[in-house]
Amino acid sequence: MIRRFVLAATVALLALTLPAPTEAQQPRRGGVLRIADREAPNLDPHLSISFLTHSWASMAYGQLVRFPHGPEQRHTADFSILPDVAEKWEYTNPTTIVFTLRKGVRFHNKPPVNGREVTSADVKYSLERFMAKSGFKSRLDQVQAIETPDKQTVRITLKEPFAPFLNHLASPAFTAILAREAEEKFGNFNHPDAVIGTGPFVLKSYQKGVRVVWERNPDYHVKGLPYLDGVELEITPDSNTRLSLFRAGKVDLGHMWGYASVEEGKSLQKSNPEVVVTPTVTMGQGLIYMRTDQPPFNDVRVRQAVSLAIDRKAWSDGLYYGEACIDSGPVPCAMKEWKLDAAKLEPAKAKVLVGYDPAEAKKLLAAAGHPNGFATPAFHWPGYAPPWRSVYELAADSLGQIGIQVELKPEEYGKYISTTYLGKFEKMAIGPITPFTEIDDWLYGTHVPEQPNNRSHVADAELNKLLVAQRRELDPKKRKEIVDDIQRYLADKAYYVYFPTGPQYISHQKHVKGFKHHDGYGLGHRLMFTWLDK
Amino acid sequence: MRQYVLRRVGLAIPTLFFVSVLVFAMMRLMPGDVVVRMVEGQAYAPTLEAMRKDLGLDRPAHVQYLEWIGGILTRGDFGTSYWTRQPIWDEFAARFPVTLELALLTILVSVVIGVTVGIVSAVRQNSAADYVGRVLAILALSVPYFGLAVVVVVVPAILFRWTPVWTYVAFTESPAENLKIMMVPALVFGVTRAGPIMRIMRSALLDVLRQEYIRTAWSKGLPERGIVLRHALKNALIPVISLIGLQMPLYIGGSVIMEAIFRLPGVGLFFFEALTRMDYPVVQSVNLIVAALVVGLNLAIDLSYAFLDPRIRYR
Repeated sequence: MIRRFVLAATVALLALTLPAPTEAQQPRRGGVLRIADREAPNLDPHLSISFLTHSWASMAYGQLVRFPHGPEQRHTADFSILPDVAEKWEYTNPTTIVFTLRKGVRFHNKPPVNGREVTSADVKYSLERFMAKSGFKSRLDQVQAIETPDKQTVRITLKEPFAPFLNHLASPAFTAILAREAEEKFGNFNHPDAVIGTGPFVLKSYQKGVRVVWERNPDYHVKGLPYLDGVELEITPDSNTRLSLFRAGKVDLGHMWGYASVEEGKSLQKSNPEVVVTPTVTMGQGLIYMRTDQPPFNDVRVRQAVSLAIDRKAWSDGLYYGEACIDSGPVPCAMKEWKLDAAKLEPAKAKVLVGYDPAEAKKLLAAAGHPNGFATPAFHWPGYAPPWRSVYELAADSLGQIGIQVELKPEEYGKYISTTYLGKFEKMAIGPITPFTEIDDWLYGTHVPEQPNNRSHVADAELNKLLVAQRRELDPKKRKEIVDDIQRYLADKAYYVYFPTGPQYISHQKHVKGFKHHDGYGLGHRLMFTWLDK
Repeated sequence: MRQYVLRRVGLAIPTLFFVSVLVFAMMRLMPGDVVVRMVEGQAYAPTLEAMRKDLGLDRPAHVQYLEWIGGILTRGDFGTSYWTRQPIWDEFAARFPVTLELALLTILVSVVIGVTVGIVSAVRQNSAADYVGRVLAILALSVPYFGLAVVVVVVPAILFRWTPVWTYVAFTESPAENLKIMMVPALVFGVTRAGPIMRIMRSALLDVLRQEYIRTAWSKGLPERGIVLRHALKNALIPVISLIGLQMPLYIGGSVIMEAIFRLPGVGLFFFEALTRMDYPVVQSVNLIVAALVVGLNLAIDLSYAFLDPRIRYR
């Protein structure tokens, strides 16, 4: 009897002390999300190449297709293609794609468009306007013709098979669907009243330099979304002020994507333990690029020596609390679907890509005719966010250990971005690369002659064949095989030397739910799934 | 007086012409390329050329200059921003009241603090109050205003989860709310600018207090308050007014950082963003407008000397 009582009492006590089974929280409608971030230079998605403009545009505009977000995404760099304004699409031959538009997709209910239904003519007008006016117009260079057989159908003919095409269409940086009437009335889409799209949020007001307010699009074509009633972006140019507003709880996000550096994230965890901080390796890459068309870096042994001189593990520990991704190139860490891990490469090749062996590096230098090393400048822009200054110094120090005397050459941003960043430099430079959403940009763009991002001046005929083949291959599986071959080929060429990629600490207030990081440039779709638990 | 004003206005014309040429040339001599900057290195060559043509940058420099300056002189058109595609004057006019208000409040704070502490320091020379005032002046001179601004914004956020940054509200919309927002940056900026005013005030007042007419006033048994405030202060203010005039470009320049930190939609931020984006027409036009304002303000300050000291004559 006593034993039974003790057992019952124990069970009762456990029931009281153990937490109740957690129920998956159901998203809740309502509330206004507050963000602090910088101001977009322009509202017209075709007249600006700023990612800020395109992030803002993604709130209000839709596209033919889009990337997955929130519960749809498998990981942060999931760039698979989902329908948006187009309901479905089909390749009728390798150079022709036919899109069928979703019925009942309407523009925002604002004059002069007044909520009319989107037609194929709108798509044609928008794509042709992009190809005529955008700084990114070359993204659609492959387009030969856009036809509209009927109101619901858009037929796009390409000059040749081009696998990255759907990715480009899904990027909010390129192909927002606009209403012609708005341009006719306002001259362009820079006027706040001209911002009329099919996106999840409607631009309600814009006070320049102060605040931009969006409200929920009640007629959004995805039923039940977005959850939020609205979004207010407090224009805050200074990063310290943004973080202070976030610490003080005046905003829900201190950056529209929730970004905080490692140092900021660690500090936030101490000062504001209640906020949600999620370390995430985001899309990005830091690298050494070299004039591989000129001595001494035209000798593969010299480039391999440079790569072997970088102690990536120590860098990760020293700069990123050991939280960096070391196997960071040529395909960035975040791009999981395309990445061929170094562990799957031949060990000798993998060593060149991610290994550390200063003794071997010295031997390679000696074999290349530089037993006493050599001197080289390293051009860079010192203004990148921390820890970039430390990266430059560490790189100089690491190469110094094997006899390469690096003279750090800081440049003013205007000069850097229009010369060094485009490969116009002597010998060596150091810096990050734009986070692209399409694998073609990471490989073709950085290794094919005449491409602006081929900063190492790579000219490799064998490699070129593979690079062209991957962009012409429309079957994803076959394309992945070619991309793997490219990674195997590139591993020990050391055309670029990759540094560890540090994480971003994605931060938001505790009551913000469903906010998932995505490496695309869209804001609207990630906020479409965000909701407030308060 | 009239002739003096006309002569000064006449002199302003070559000054402004020189400023326009200088800023036009400097923007184009700056390293880098605005078109490449606009596409952040991602565009391909045909895009760059097309954009250059679209912006009119493919034409000779003198044609670009004449079109810009001609637009201002004939139509009052200061051009359009390369980045925002908005008329520059519209944006300047919308933002200028914010910067002006910040500058006026900053001057008010710096004058009230600087003049008061300067007077006390001079009247009580070598006393404890004087030493405290001088130390404060050195401190104000030594602490950079942007550093103090960051501390004021960041430290309370870490310690108390509070920060003195709000969303800007125009004075015409709500004076009380506007002043609540503007006072903190004005105090931060004003305190650091009070240092030089205090030092000049002290030395100028000490100088005046040693003049014979002041000695006469003492001999006549006038009260100290009347001697200092009525007889000495007015004359001692002339160098202080000159200093404020000389500091005007600093108030405009400093507003760049203060506006960024305190989220104020003023001209400083507009100018700074244009400069970092190499937005030639904005930088050129804002520089020219500000130069004209500084020239005009300095003239006004020169004319104010006659009010402060009726012995001054303009020829």
